[in-house]
Amino acid sequence: MLLRRLLSAAVTLVLVSVLVFFVVDALADQVTQDLGRAASPEALAARRHLLGLDRPVLLRLWQHVSSAMSFEFGESARHGHPVASLLARSLLPTLAYAVPGFLLATASALFGGFCAARWRGWPGRILLGLATILMSTSSVIIVVIGQYLLAHRLRSFPVLGWPLPGDARDVLGFIVLPALLWAVIQLGPDLRHYRAVFLRELAAPHLEGLRARGLGEFRVARHVLRGSAAPVLARVSARLPHLVIGSVVIEHVFNIPGVGALLIAAIQDGDLAVVQGIAFCLAAATIAGQALCDLAVFTLDPRTRARPEAGR
Amino acid sequence: MRRPRVLGSLGLGGTLALAGLVGFALLALGAMIGLYAQNFEQAVGPEHLSPGPGAWLGTDALGRDLLARTIQGARVSLAVGLGGAVGLVALGTALGALAGLRGRAVDRVLAGLTDAVAAVPPVVMLLGAALVLSPGISTAILAISLTQWTGVFRSIRAEAMRMRSADHDRAAVAMGAGYWHRIRWHLLPRLRPLLITSLVLSFVYAVKIEAVLAFFGASSRTLPSWGRLLAESGSELARGIWWPIAAASVPLALLVLCAQVVADRLTDDEPGG
Repeated sequence: MLLRRLLSAAVTLVLVSVLVFFVVDALADQVTQDLGRAASPEALAARRHLLGLDRPVLLRLWQHVSSAMSFEFGESARHGHPVASLLARSLLPTLAYAVPGFLLATASALFGGFCAARWRGWPGRILLGLATILMSTSSVIIVVIGQYLLAHRLRSFPVLGWPLPGDARDVLGFIVLPALLWAVIQLGPDLRHYRAVFLRELAAPHLEGLRARGLGEFRVARHVLRGSAAPVLARVSARLPHLVIGSVVIEHVFNIPGVGALLIAAIQDGDLAVVQGIAFCLAAATIAGQALCDLAVFTLDPRTRARPEAGR
Repeated sequence: MRRPRVLGSLGLGGTLALAGLVGFALLALGAMIGLYAQNFEQAVGPEHLSPGPGAWLGTDALGRDLLARTIQGARVSLAVGLGGAVGLVALGTALGALAGLRGRAVDRVLAGLTDAVAAVPPVVMLLGAALVLSPGISTAILAISLTQWTGVFRSIRAEAMRMRSADHDRAAVAMGAGYWHRIRWHLLPRLRPLLITSLVLSFVYAVKIEAVLAFFGASSRTLPSWGRLLAESGSELARGIWWPIAAASVPLALLVLCAQVVADRLTDDEPGG
């Protein structure tokens, strides 16, 4: 079962790279992007030959897929650096604010979701309403207004920017506000999701049995938590790839040199190798996250072990 | 599983939210056929005029009337929201029904394709597609429909597979019903509540995506969009110029909230909730 899961993950990854190749090949013209629309047909043809774009499609597809599998995406047309090293360099800034934000949001969403499901009267309704309002507020609004209120108005954080390498001053200051805004963006939908998960689990009949046997509410809550491990993990793993991309909006507004900023710059420059590289790496992260989640559920939830084929 | 309820018992909040959506639609329709808010391109006063008589929401950096621009922005959000929702639900339903009813090889291929499409994060796909093609409303709709159908595909496919083992469908097949007949008379009626909910939820999603696309200049270039207004005037907040941000964010948040409440009411099945 585990082997089959890994195999299907690998097949999906190959499919992704084929898909990315065809989409970019069909939609975008690297040569025109490089030389501009006014270039002469001879110059375009020469450039096409130089880049090897005049070779048969299937041959190029094969080369693209096989080099993508070894995480070789060629060189960025703008910067001249290999795409992989560009990606690696921008990963750190993104993770620096995304991981704390993600942890904060997940912890508070789990707590809030449990409270909203456990006490369904006024406290639950207020929590649900707040989460709905938060979720309906576009991330663009949250970031723009959050930056204004916390950085400009309260002056508790630097307005934007990122510490230069080697400059350890104020690192925290630059990280805290983006991380906080990340958490606010993620909190609304996650809280609602976890509330629904816990509601379903709290209605399970075996809890009445536990209570009838005289278990305290605290022990019962532990059973609820364990029972809802699978859907919670599924949600967390679905969120993992967001960690790598960060929020493009946050990185744009705060001028953080992360993956999202790299993506925006690459798209605006028409730097297709970088876009392809980012798309493929993020897809790989997503697929790996899903496989890990399945593995974790398999070890955590005995029900999946008893009927390995159920739910497939 | 959550069984969506059909329109009808929306409750007070749901009815209010639906009325809000209708209000937004009428506002955009009036602006589209040219009843009002037509002077959104001309300067009507000095730049950054604060709200007051003459310009009820103030003016922007070029002295243009923000009220007119906000109303015109509703056209963009609603067009992309509706177009994107209909497009992605239609594509997801068509492919899902195909995969679920045919099964075997067709199902394998389509499910594999879905996994691959869903694995690439939406931001990359959408921004890439919207900026590689020339920016505009139709590009945004196309980008959303072509990349975000995977969720609908999965739920429709599951429902179609469930139907394949139902007696009424087996009877229909035994009597020689073709795929089209089964989709039209058996699958679609069964899917109606699910489709309505998916449409509303996809609308919410598409409107939010449009705001982000517009923020990066990948949405309409001719009409003022709320996302673009937010991008243009975000830095002016520090100078105390709050009205462009308010004019863009309040309607955007309200529109999404209305649609979200309607969607919640449609799926609400909590006992006593």
